[in-house]
Amino acid sequence: MALAETQTDVKTFTAAELYQRIVADTPTFIVDVRNEEDFGRWGVEGRNSLEVINVPYFDFIEDEDGSVAKVPADRNEVLVVCAKEGSSQFVAEILQSHGITARFLEGGINTWGNLYDVRPVESNAYGQIIQVARPARGDLSFVVVSQGQAAVIDPLRHIDHYLNVLNTHQAQLTHIFDTHAHADHISGGPALARKTGGRYFMHAYDAIHPLDMLPARIDYNHIVDGQKFQVGHYTIEVIWFPGHTLGQVNYLFTDPDGKSCLFTGDGIFLKSFGRPDLGGRGEAWAPIVYDSIYNRLPPRINKDTLILPAHFSVMNEDNGQGVFAETYEWVLAHNDALKYAQKQDFLDFVLSHLPKFPPEYVEIKRANAGLLIPDEEKASELELGKNICALSD
Amino acid sequence: MTVAFDQTLDVKGAKCPMPLVKTRKAINGLPVGAVLQVVATDRGSIADFKGWVKAAKNVELLQQETVENNGTALYLHYVKRTA
Repeated sequence: MALAETQTDVKTFTAAELYQRIVADTPTFIVDVRNEEDFGRWGVEGRNSLEVINVPYFDFIEDEDGSVAKVPADRNEVLVVCAKEGSSQFVAEILQSHGITARFLEGGINTWGNLYDVRPVESNAYGQIIQVARPARGDLSFVVVSQGQAAVIDPLRHIDHYLNVLNTHQAQLTHIFDTHAHADHISGGPALARKTGGRYFMHAYDAIHPLDMLPARIDYNHIVDGQKFQVGHYTIEVIWFPGHTLGQVNYLFTDPDGKSCLFTGDGIFLKSFGRPDLGGRGEAWAPIVYDSIYNRLPPRINKDTLILPAHFSVMNEDNGQGVFAETYEWVLAHNDALKYAQKQDFLDFVLSHLPKFPPEYVEIKRANAGLLIPDEEKASELELGKNICALSD
Repeated sequence: MTVAFDQTLDVKGAKCPMPLVKTRKAINGLPVGAVLQVVATDRGSIADFKGWVKAAKNVELLQQETVENNGTALYLHYVKRTA
């Protein structure tokens, strides 16, 4: 048995390549060799043609033949994943020695967790909309560029990715919009404002930590319902959409031809919507979500408005090409949460479909309010795994 | 509480999978009933040793502890050969 310390000719793959395979739905077989506990917490998720099995690397130490036999014989290639790289290389070498083609993930699973994917949503004479996704977490954010100006919506923690997009488009960042105080990830908004001089906007209600009842210690500009901005050719209107948080807003971008797109944050998602209980008051806030979905929002947009949410739950919510955006008409037809005729039915549905409350979400809200300054290790621990901002099935 | 042990295996600085590869080798060289103390610096070894003994033959994990040594955390695992 070859040990990982020796030189090897086993090849690697990168997180970016893995994501390309998932987007294209290329048949892919992954053996995750982390221990059961870590594997249970989070891992690689994809769509139909992705298969993932968990066989801890120490099983290969104990029972090499039995562990190798868990890989079906007809798979062309096995991609091995572990925490830091060493064990996946070790297992890939064992598989190769049994005649199975195997590669291992360069840098370990955190490179998958920290992968950002940048792709255009739309481009026309007025400007470009660019999606910046962190696929492992199901987090989505956006850059809108027009006439050398740019706005960023819901920027994530690793701000270099936005600086790169701005640089590529030779655009000056003027507006940094958070739709709400996020609970599942640390916002890149304040850091991006300090770095670029762009102004950071959020609603004042979300500058109060809902459980601590303490005011935020970050620099932000307060926005109100109906407030308007201009970025290049786009007119931007703030639409207050409380419920997931009390200060959540949507940003409606309209071009000179009247074509519009709506950045919904954790308002409506393509297949669900933002849960009302992360502020600790699910029963009180669920009716507020109802009013936002059914009464506040509809008069302000039209059926062709493009909906761009801050999260997806499963990869298949995309358009088949890694972009998570659909028209309001499409969302009305495909999102079951938007189909309740009776308010009480909606409330019953919501309150019976609340997923577990991740305890770290309280801390993340503290970080986003500036009440807690996490170091890199702490931040990355808080952001482990996929967001749980939507209702469960 | 400190566990009595018969032999020490120093895997400080070793990264996954080496702590367990070396532990398995060392255990195989011990008589039945003997206890091995493994000294590791890899934090992941805590969960990995727990997972390993579930599937592993002839071993029992008696205890795990974390101690500070000149600012570095050391993870101690006490493994007994049972058969």
